[in-house]
Amino acid sequence: MLQLKNVDGHYGSFKALNNINMTVDTGGLVVLLGANGAGKSTLFNTISGLIKPTAGSVEFEDKILNGMRPSEVVNSGVVQCAEGRQLFPQMSVHDNLMLGAYVHRRDKEGNRKRLNEVLELFPILEEKSHQPAGSLSGGQQQMVAIGRAMMSRPRLLMLDEPSLGLAPLVVKQMFQTIQQINSLGTTVLLAEQNAFAALKIATYAYVMENGQLVMDGDSKAMLGNEEVRKAYIGA
Amino acid sequence: MTTFLQQVFNGLTLGSIYGLVALGLTLVYGILHIPNFAHGALYMVGAFMSYFFMVDMGVHYWIAMAGSAVVVAVLGIICERLVFHQLRNSPPIHDKIAAIGILLFLEAMVHMFWGSEFRRMSSPFGGVMNLDGVYLREQGILIIASTVVLVVALNLFLRKTMVGATIIAMAQNREGAFLVGIDANRVAMMTFAISGGLAAIAATLYAPLNLVYPAMGHLVIMKAFVIIILGGMGSIPGAIVGGMIIGFAEAFGGYYISTAYKDVIAFSLLVVILSIRPQGLFAKGAH
Repeated sequence: MLQLKNVDGHYGSFKALNNINMTVDTGGLVVLLGANGAGKSTLFNTISGLIKPTAGSVEFEDKILNGMRPSEVVNSGVVQCAEGRQLFPQMSVHDNLMLGAYVHRRDKEGNRKRLNEVLELFPILEEKSHQPAGSLSGGQQQMVAIGRAMMSRPRLLMLDEPSLGLAPLVVKQMFQTIQQINSLGTTVLLAEQNAFAALKIATYAYVMENGQLVMDGDSKAMLGNEEVRKAYIGA
Repeated sequence: MTTFLQQVFNGLTLGSIYGLVALGLTLVYGILHIPNFAHGALYMVGAFMSYFFMVDMGVHYWIAMAGSAVVVAVLGIICERLVFHQLRNSPPIHDKIAAIGILLFLEAMVHMFWGSEFRRMSSPFGGVMNLDGVYLREQGILIIASTVVLVVALNLFLRKTMVGATIIAMAQNREGAFLVGIDANRVAMMTFAISGGLAAIAATLYAPLNLVYPAMGHLVIMKAFVIIILGGMGSIPGAIVGGMIIGFAEAFGGYYISTAYKDVIAFSLLVVILSIRPQGLFAKGAH
C-alpha cells in the first residue's frame, strides 16, 4: 500500500532522514518506534507532503506522492493526525470534524454518515459538539484530532504520538480505539514512544534512530527482542 | 447637542471607511502573516478604476463600484501569485520590501495613465439631509450602511460557508489546515481577492467626499496600520472597533481641538492605547 524507497530528507544542510526504506501493507497496523528527535515526525511530514524529500520516492497505491501538495496527499487517501493535535482551537468540535471532510465537501450525505461513525467511535464528542476544541481536555482534544482525520476517509491513517501527554487510563482507551479503527478496515501507521502498548496492538514494527531505520520485524517478535526491550520498554 | 450628533455622524462615516480598509489589511495579515504595505495603493487603484468606469465609460455608480471591486480583487490575486507566493519561504523582510515595491509600481502606473492631478468623482448620492440641525450627507449614510452590510456579509461568509471556514482554519492553525487538505494557494488567493475588493469598495465610497489622486492611499494605509495594531493584528472585530476609534477621535478632535491636529490625535491615541494594552484591544488572531 505505502512504499518508501531510499528516502532522504534535509533541514538545510542537516540530514534528518537517511535512506528510509519502508513498506506498509493494506490492512496492517504498523508501528514506528523511536526516541524524541529520531525523525519520526519528519518522516510523517515527508509522506504528508509538508516536507519535500531530497532523494528517493514515496509511493501509495501505485501513485508517487513526492512533489504532491499536502492537499493532494490527503485527497489520495493518506491522512496524518499530527503530534500536538493541530486543531483549530477557537472553532467548535463539530466545525473541526467537518473541516476534516474538506476534501469530500461535495458529498454531504457521505459526510453525515461518516460523522455518525466518528461519533460512535468517540461518543463524548457529541456532547461537546458546540464547545471550542481548545477548551477540551488533552484526551478529548486527541479524540477530536483522530476524529477529524477519520472524517477525511483515510485509507492510510498516520498517527503521530497520539498518547503524548495523556493520563495512563486515557492512553489505554486510545490504543483500544486505534485497534478498533484498524479492525474496521483502515490501515494505520503509528509513531510512538510508548513502545510496549504500541507493539501489543501492532502487526509490524520499525525502529528509528537518528533519521535511519535500524530494525524492523514482526511486532510480537520485537516485544521479545532484548535490545528493543532495553532501549524502548525499559525492561 | 446638535454639534455633538454632527460629530458622531462624521465619526461614523470616517470610522466606516477606515474600518473597511483595515479589514482587508488585517485579513491578509492574520491569515498569511503579510503586512501588505501595498494595500493603500490597492485602495487608490480602486478609486481610479471607479473614476474610469464612471467618467470615461459612463456607467452607473454601483456598476462602477462592482467593476472596480472585481478589477482590484484580480489585482490582489496577481500580487499574491506573482510576488508573495514566490516569497513564501523567504525571510519576512522580503514580503515587506516586495509590498513597498508593489506600492511604488502601482502608483507609477496610475501616474502614467492618469497623471498626478487631483480629480473629482461625483456620486448620485450628493444630497444633504437636515435632521433637526444635524446635516447628514447622503454619501455618508451610504458609507455607514454599506459598511454594516459588508461586515455582516463577510461575517456570514466566514462563519457559515465551508470556503469561509477554510480561511478561518488557516488563520487559527496553518499546519492543521494543511493536514485536512485545505489548499493554501486557494485560501491565499481568496484572502487577497477579498482584501482588494474591500479596499476598492471603500475607495469608491469615500472618493465622492474627497479627491482622487495617486497619493491618496498614503495616509489611509498609515491609519489602517494604526487601526490593526490598535485593534490587535489579525482581529476582524479589532479592525472595525479600531476604525471607529480613529474615526471618532478625528471627528471630535478635529472639531473641538483643531482640524490641523486630527492626524496627530489619531497617532497619539495609538501611543496611549498601546502603552496601556501593548497587544492591542482584541489580542487573539483572526476570529
